[in-house]
Amino acid sequence: MDAETDARWVPVAVSADILDGTVAPARLPRRPIAVWRSASGNIYANGDRCPHRGMRLSHGFVRGETLSCIYHGWRFGTDGACQKIPAHPAVAPPKTINCGALPAMEGNGVIWAAAQTPPDKPADFAGYEALRSLVIAATPDAITHASDGEPIVGATKMRLDGHNAILLMNGLGPDEVFVVVLIEADLSVPDRLSVSAAVERLRRAAETAGNAA
Amino acid sequence: MTAEAMRDAWYPVGLLSDLRVEGKDSLLLGQKITVYGSKTGAPRVKSDGRNLPVVERFGHLWTSLGTPVKDLFTIPEADHPDRTLVDVGVVRVKCSPLRAVENFLDIAHFPFVHTDILGAESHPEVSEYKVEIRDEVDEVWATKVEFFQPQAAKSAGGGITTEYMYRVPAPTCSVLYKTCPPRPGEWDVIALFVQPLTEDLCDVWPWMALFDDESPITDLIHFQQLIFLQDRSILENQIPKRLPLDPAMETPTRADLTSIAYRRWLKRHNYTFGAQLVAE
Repeated sequence: MDAETDARWVPVAVSADILDGTVAPARLPRRPIAVWRSASGNIYANGDRCPHRGMRLSHGFVRGETLSCIYHGWRFGTDGACQKIPAHPAVAPPKTINCGALPAMEGNGVIWAAAQTPPDKPADFAGYEALRSLVIAATPDAITHASDGEPIVGATKMRLDGHNAILLMNGLGPDEVFVVVLIEADLSVPDRLSVSAAVERLRRAAETAGNAA
Repeated sequence: MTAEAMRDAWYPVGLLSDLRVEGKDSLLLGQKITVYGSKTGAPRVKSDGRNLPVVERFGHLWTSLGTPVKDLFTIPEADHPDRTLVDVGVVRVKCSPLRAVENFLDIAHFPFVHTDILGAESHPEVSEYKVEIRDEVDEVWATKVEFFQPQAAKSAGGGITTEYMYRVPAPTCSVLYKTCPPRPGEWDVIALFVQPLTEDLCDVWPWMALFDDESPITDLIHFQQLIFLQDRSILENQIPKRLPLDPAMETPTRADLTSIAYRRWLKRHNYTFGAQLVAE
């Protein structure tokens, strides 16, 4: 555990990509996680591993306000505690069985998670919302450099196809960055499409620069 | 991870009906082997220029990298002349060979992985059953295993409570005996023979000896392949890849008694190729 880096908010998904009643895999810098949205629309995150037999919980299923493992149906609540073991319906699961609930929040159409509870809320980018996410096989520096971007607190600000954009970056490995692209909320659909295409060009430029170096 | 103890065990390396005279390269416990069919004599398996011991049994060719201390196990029940013997083929799975066997020993996943075939979500309960390591034969046995199944076999008309017996006669092999819908009193035999390629890659060779004179062989094979492909989606997504033998790593329950005995038996014999001894 590294308190300094673990207790900070990391962008892990775009809100619109996780529908009500679904779960998806995501990554914190040093570990895989499962991000899920309950039937009532709340977002939760936990370790991507069922404590029973190690199955990835991101392959599981959401019912109501619970997440179940696809292997044996073990059901977990929003606090990560196991509520039900279907093979033993009469047995109350011991309190010690827990899939490790993690702090998770939403803002600007971005889902944020952290390995440990951060002291404050995720950065707010007033007037901006998430457009899309992508994984770029390059370093954060190479991405900033390829975009002529300007680092701001917790993000990189840049122009993409003539529009203001903010890139949130989550370094997954030495040459792999999960990126969420924020745009101004009033951008038209055609402009959104052109920003999305510009991000793909940026990805290719950053990856090519990395390969050349 | 040392594989010494497992080198002396027998492993399946191909279907007798599908061997190539010119040879086919494969892996066994991480070591290169070549499997040769023969038009006139016996099939051969070579590794490092050395001829390995071979046995032809259950429709498969078996070999060992070391010096087997005992003969390859037998399945006397499978010898009944009325049985249909089914070579299912091979399924390559990116998982530990030991995890593949453990999954085969597990019934509690039926309602969720083989939904409405081998289990139903409305009937997930696993009742008590008996597990033992039979020292005289050095095998793991689970008996009196009962489970409700919507479609227990290709030959099953509707939902029935199926009785199972499981047997682990070799580190990467398991034999399952289950209620035979058309012949009460007899057991269908379904075996899982696993060829350990590396610690996290294996070829699974299912084999069956059934009382079913109605279903075409193709249907029987399709049924088993459907089941194993459903299992593969689990096996390739377990963390860690290797089977944890440290009891603190995972959380078994009473339904997992067979798996607990299997892990204990593996540890006792130092059968650790594909296992993880301490948490990483």
